[in-house]
Formats: sequence, structure tokens, C-alpha cells
Amino acid sequence: MKIVIPPPLTEPPQPQSFGQDFWLLLRNQLHVTWNKLRHWPFLAWLGVISAGIGLLSVLVYLGSVAYGALQVMPPEIGQGFLTLIFMIGIASQVFFGITAAFVTLYMSEDLELFFMSPVPLRVVFAVKSLMIANSNLLTALLFCFLPGLFYGLLFQASASYYLFVILVGCGFWIMGTAAAALLNLVVMRIVPPHRSREAVGVIGAVAGILVALLFQLPSMIMMQGQSLNLTDWLTGQEQLLKVMGYFPWGWGAKALGAGITGEFTNGLAWSLLLLLTAAALFWVAFILLERGFRRGWISLTQGAAPRRKKQHRDLHTGEFTPSTLQFTVTEHAAGVASPWAGMWAVAKKDLLYMKRDTREWFGYMVPLLLMMFFVAQYLFFQAEQTASSMVSVLVMYTLMFSGNMALQSFGREGEADWFLNSVPLAGWPVVWGKLLGAVIPTLVLMQALLVGTAVAIKVSASLTIMLAIGAFLLTLGASAIGLFYSINNSRFNPESPQQRISPGASMLMYLVNLIFMLILALGMVYLIPPAELITALKAMPPAPVGGGFLNSMGRFFFTISRPLLWQPLGRTMMGLLVTFGSWSLVFFGFMAATVRQSRKGLRVENVTGTKKKRRKLK
Amino acid sequence: MHETLIRTQHLTKRYGSTAVVDNLNLEVQSGEIFGFLGPNGSGKTTTIRMLSGLLDASEGEAYICGYNIAKEASQAKGLLAYVPDQPKIYGKLTATEFLRLVAALYRVPKEFAAERAAQLLSMFGLAERADELLEGYSHGMRQKVVLAAALIHQPRVILLDEPTVGLDPASARLLKNVLQELALQGAAVFLSTHILEIAERMCHRVGILQQGKLIAQGSPEELRQRVGHADESLEDIFLELTGGHETAELIRSLEEGDNQ
Repeated sequence: MKIVIPPPLTEPPQPQSFGQDFWLLLRNQLHVTWNKLRHWPFLAWLGVISAGIGLLSVLVYLGSVAYGALQVMPPEIGQGFLTLIFMIGIASQVFFGITAAFVTLYMSEDLELFFMSPVPLRVVFAVKSLMIANSNLLTALLFCFLPGLFYGLLFQASASYYLFVILVGCGFWIMGTAAAALLNLVVMRIVPPHRSREAVGVIGAVAGILVALLFQLPSMIMMQGQSLNLTDWLTGQEQLLKVMGYFPWGWGAKALGAGITGEFTNGLAWSLLLLLTAAALFWVAFILLERGFRRGWISLTQGAAPRRKKQHRDLHTGEFTPSTLQFTVTEHAAGVASPWAGMWAVAKKDLLYMKRDTREWFGYMVPLLLMMFFVAQYLFFQAEQTASSMVSVLVMYTLMFSGNMALQSFGREGEADWFLNSVPLAGWPVVWGKLLGAVIPTLVLMQALLVGTAVAIKVSASLTIMLAIGAFLLTLGASAIGLFYSINNSRFNPESPQQRISPGASMLMYLVNLIFMLILALGMVYLIPPAELITALKAMPPAPVGGGFLNSMGRFFFTISRPLLWQPLGRTMMGLLVTFGSWSLVFFGFMAATVRQSRKGLRVENVTGTKKKRRKLK
Repeated sequence: MHETLIRTQHLTKRYGSTAVVDNLNLEVQSGEIFGFLGPNGSGKTTTIRMLSGLLDASEGEAYICGYNIAKEASQAKGLLAYVPDQPKIYGKLTATEFLRLVAALYRVPKEFAAERAAQLLSMFGLAERADELLEGYSHGMRQKVVLAAALIHQPRVILLDEPTVGLDPASARLLKNVLQELALQGAAVFLSTHILEIAERMCHRVGILQQGKLIAQGSPEELRQRVGHADESLEDIFLELTGGHETAELIRSLEEGDNQ
């Protein structure tokens, strides 16, 4: 084939203006974003819209509470209130901005391309900074622009006041973005490039927890009822608010306060001071960012792991010569090791993976946070009802959590699923290894939580032991169910490696686990029947006759409730049979099905954007 | 007349006290294909990244077509193309859109850009999938897109880091032909590779880097003369110079073991 290539350039291309380059990069960015949105799946849109509506509802509620509080506040107290809101606004922008900056700069797919092109670096970072600022816009609007706007409307401020609202809002917006970019520099320096996805996962998890706490605010405010009085609280914080006045959020509030009272020069001075400080901070962030990348202080690519400083154990002593290698390869080593070793190897691999991937820890932190919430509720309200509801929630959670953790097991293989399919361990060594890997951390955590909580709320010793045994059985059973759905429905998406299961399978697993728990609960009720239930059963009318769904259901519940009225020996035998029979059936049944599937070959669905590719080995 | 298009003077990159590239002095002329060899971790990629302006040198200077890459970055980069070993490109752009973006970044006039993008995609066998998003491309296909992008602005200097990784034999052959054609047209080609056969067949000169230091440079023939074994392959010379002869001996003894 004859290749015709135009001759190389002899002179460099003519430089373009800052504006031309900026517009070129910005247009490209908008184009990429547009393509991304166009290829979003419907479910993603649905999720975003639902979350948006939920968040908006919470914010509208909080906004109405804040507006109501402002109405009864004198302007000087209102100014203190604004100071607090602005401070929250800056903090939120920094927190969410760090994630945006991290993704925009450290995980960017285009920085290398731009760095080697003749486009000046300042243009590249100007566009990147605009993108970070854009992701902070909503936070800035909610916490920096809108409070000022409503404050002005409430006190019927003059038109010049709204100039200050714009100046102050822009100042906080720039400042929040700059602070986020600066802190992100530290994060990028600490986090090695190959762990950047992990870091974003962790930051995302923290953000998720904060948003979840935000959703709790309305109910907490409602529970506080009359005792929440912002005006009284702010009046009592005079000293604190005075100190706040020295910080930028105080300057913003002072500017708006001056705007309300018609002191134009005073307001303008504070607004400009804020804006100039923000601009200076932004400039520092911009310069440091550009230098950090250019001088290699921040790594540009997500390369391999750095060389470990830790001294490795020297496995080979003496000279490593061909003769020693020949000696080892002539030894017959294959096929003599126990499959138990293989099982433990699989479990150990999973445990090491969980230990070394920070994102995995957040899966285990959710029950801890949940428990902290319940324990705090118990400590504050000290209600008997709280204790029993806490134990039942904990049991329920053990079941769901165990199932969910096992559900992640096979998806953890990700793109390396070929490996477990290619080793001579298919069948029970792989499946039991996976079970062990999923169950060990879950059991340790849930046992510690259950027993710890039972002791903390002073539950009797016998009930504590029963809870411990119950948690053990529940964890194993739920994990077996989870493993079965995991081996059949795993998926891997390199962009979000923590989403390892299809949503449908996840729902189905929860449903099966729920039925499993109901059957176990029935067995437990046969073993330890509650006195109230026995009394109610004795007063029950006979089983309904006739057809129809409701009558059939009535007859079903009537029949399964009969053993409760049997003699204790028969009832206990029935309880043991139902509890251990159903547990054995579920546990061994699901394990056997998983082992069978493992022998056929485990599958991990490869998901990239909207495209799906099912890989089935063997 | 040959012109020096790549020149480094005491080029050094340090991370802390460790010199990853140490006092590198080399020159590559127009019309020359220069192979950059070295064991893993010897500093090849760091050198290429410094030459491409992606990384600042700790000491020393690098010149592309006479322009200092640190001080006259825009001019130098305008005449340069870099093909990284791991092609990181926008998953949410099509190949055509990506090539047009690169053309715009390098100030290629619009009327040429579209035509040239189509020609290059056709040359690399990507014309049929030119309007698909790049996220659906395989590693080899992405590599071809990056190669096409590197050629779109008629670079005078082209830096390639392991360019044949992921390419099928036909594409690898095409790449070799393209690079030879570029050299014939007067461009300087600087490529790092582990495939010594490619270096031996394609490169006019090679440089061998070890622990950041350039331990040898010259044509394969000159290197043979230097080690004193006229009949040895570049692989043998490389292993001898980089101290890999223990590994070579090991491989040989394993082969003997298999034959027995």
C-alpha cells in the first residue's frame, strides 16, 4: 500500500488568543458533557430526578424554617444568622468542590492531551477551574445567593442592596471553588494516582452520609418541636458571632447588613474586600495547580503503584542460579495440596482485597452508623420501645447486610473473573472460599454490634446468647442466598467498580431473604411463644371456610398458628424442625446451586456506559 | 542537509534524591528513526514525557526543532506529536470528533481537518466505526486513533512510547511504514520499545538507557563493534550492556533442560 503523508511542518502554527483557545476547550467540554447526557440510561435519569425532588423538598422545608425564623429576628440577629448560613455555604462548596476538583483534574481523561498540545496551560486550567466552579454553582446559589436575596425581600431592601447580593454571592462562589481547589492539591498529593478511583469512592461515601444526615434534619427539627428557637440561640451566641465577623463569611453578612440599613459605602467596602480576597485565593490556587502539574509535584497519569519503601522479605537466599531453578521445576508439586488450602486462598484473597480497598470499608461502616443512630436515640429517649425496636432492626439488618455483602462477592472478581474460572478449584472450594471471605468480617462486625448493643441496653443474658446464635445462623443463611445471586448476576463497570450487581437481582435477593427471615421467625415463635400471642390465638374464631384469596390466607395462617397451642414438647419439636429445617434447606440448597453454577463457570457482566457485554468462560 | 530536531543537554529528572533520568545528552536528526531502549523502570517514559513537555526537567534542557520545550512550549509543541503507551482519550467522543478536536488544538484549518481525519481513519481501518463513541473501542483501536491524531497536524518530531503494544500485525506493519515515510519526508521519529527486533529493523540509531543513564548510543552496527561481537543480534547486545546476561543464561539453560 502506498502511503501518502503530507510533509512535516517547518514552522510552528500561529498562536491563538486566550479567548479563542478558551472557547475551543470549553466547546469541547460542553460537547463531551452533551454526549454523556445523551447516552445516560433512563434509570439514571429517573434516579437523578427522584434524588433532585427529594433534595429540593428537604431544602424547601429547611428554607421555610429559616425564613420563618428570620421573620421574627431583628436585623442584627438576622445578620448573625446569615453569617452561619454563609459559613455552611463555604464549607459545603469546599467539600463538594474537592470531589469535583479531584475528578476534573486528577481523574481527567484529557489533561495529557491538552498538556502536549500548543494550547497554553493557563487556558487549560481556566477551563478546568470553570468546570469546578460550575459544579459548585448549585451549592453557591442555595447557601450564598438565595439567603441574601430572601433577606433583602424580607426587610424590603432598596435596589442597591441586590448589587451587594451579587458581589457577595460571587465572592463566596469564587472563594469556595478556590478553597476546594487548594485543598484538592493536598488530597492529590496524598492520594497516589493508582488509588484515585478509590479516593473518589470514599469522598462520595462521606458525601452520601452527609446527604443522608441532611435528610434527617426535618424529622429532627420536628421532634425538637417548640424547644428549637433560633432567635434565642443566636442571641446567646453574641461572642461567637463577633468572632465570626473577622472571617469572610462575617464580611459577607456585614455587607448585606449595611445594604439593609442603606449604608452603601460600608456595604460596598465589605463586598469588595470579600471579592478581592476570593480573587486572590483563586489566583494562588490557579498558580499552584498549574505549577504542581507542570513540575510533576502532582502526578498527571493514573500509573502503577509507587515502589514500596517497606523492605520485602528476601525469599531467596544465596545465588539464584539456573541449577536451583531446574531443581524446583523437576519436583512433582501439582495435585497434592488439599482443596482446603485452595478454599482458604480464595477467602484470603477476598479478605486482603477488602482490607486494601478503602471503598470496601464503607460497606461495613453503614451498619455502624445505623447503630450509632439507634443507640443515640435510645440514650436520648430511654424508651423501652426503642430498645425492642433497636434489637429487631438490628436482626433485620444482620440479614440484609450479610446478604448484601455476599452479593458483592463474585462481582469483586471484576475483569479478573477468568482467573477463578481457570484454576482447578471450580465447585465447592471456590464457593466455600467466597462464603468464608464474605462471612468472616460480617460475622465479626454483626456479632460485636448485636452483643455490644444488647449489653449496652441491658438485655438479659439468655436473650443476648440467643441473639448471638441467631445472628450466626442468619449471617450464614443470608450469605448463601447472596452468593447464589452474586454468581448469576455479577457485573463490572470500570467507571463505578463498586456497583457489582444488577438492581433486579439485588431486589430479588432481599425478597428471598425476607421470606427466609419470616420462616425462621415462625420457628423461633414456636420455640419461645410470646404470651400475648397465645392469648390472642385462644380467642381467635375457627378457620374461615369457602373459596377466595382472603379465606385461603386466613386458613393458612390459622393452620400455621396451631402448633403454638400444642403441648410444649410437640411445639418445641416443631419449632426445632421449622427453624433448623428451613435454615438447612436454604443454606445447603443455595450453596449447592452456587457450587453447580461455579462448575459451569462464573459470569461477570461487563458494563461500560450503556453497553453491556456478557462474558461467560467455559 | 540534516537538521537536529531533538536535542537534550544534561537532562535530569529527580524525585527526591533519586535521579530517574540522569544527565542525558542526545541528538536526533531530521529523517532519523531513533530507538530508545532500556529495561523496565530505566527512565524511558520519563524522558519522553520531558521531551513532550508533560513533565518539567529538574536540571538540563530539551529542544524540539530548536525551541526550548520549557521556555517556548507553544512553538515546540506545535511541531511535536506524542503517542503515549496507554492511550487516554475521551470515551464520550467519536473518533471523528476526537480527531477534529486535536486538529483544532494544533490550529489545523477546518477545511483540511475534516478531510485529513477521514483519510487517516480510513488508513488505519477505522472508517466504518468513525462515528462510534471511543468508549466502545478496543485497546488496539484506541491506539490507532491516537496514532491518527498524532499525524493529523503534520508533526516534525514524533515521540512514541511503546507504539506497537496492542496493535495487530497488519497495523504494526502499517505503523512501521508510516514512520519510515515520515522519516523520509524529513521528520525525526523517537520511539521507545521493548521489541528489539523492531528497533533493529527500523531504527537508524538506538540509545540504551539504564537506571536513568544513557549507557550506549549508535547504529546497531556501531553497537556490535563496541561489544566486539559482529554476529550478535541487538537483543544479545542489549542484554550484555544492561547486565541481563544472567537472565539470558537462565533462559538458555531452561531451553537446554527442555531439550534433554
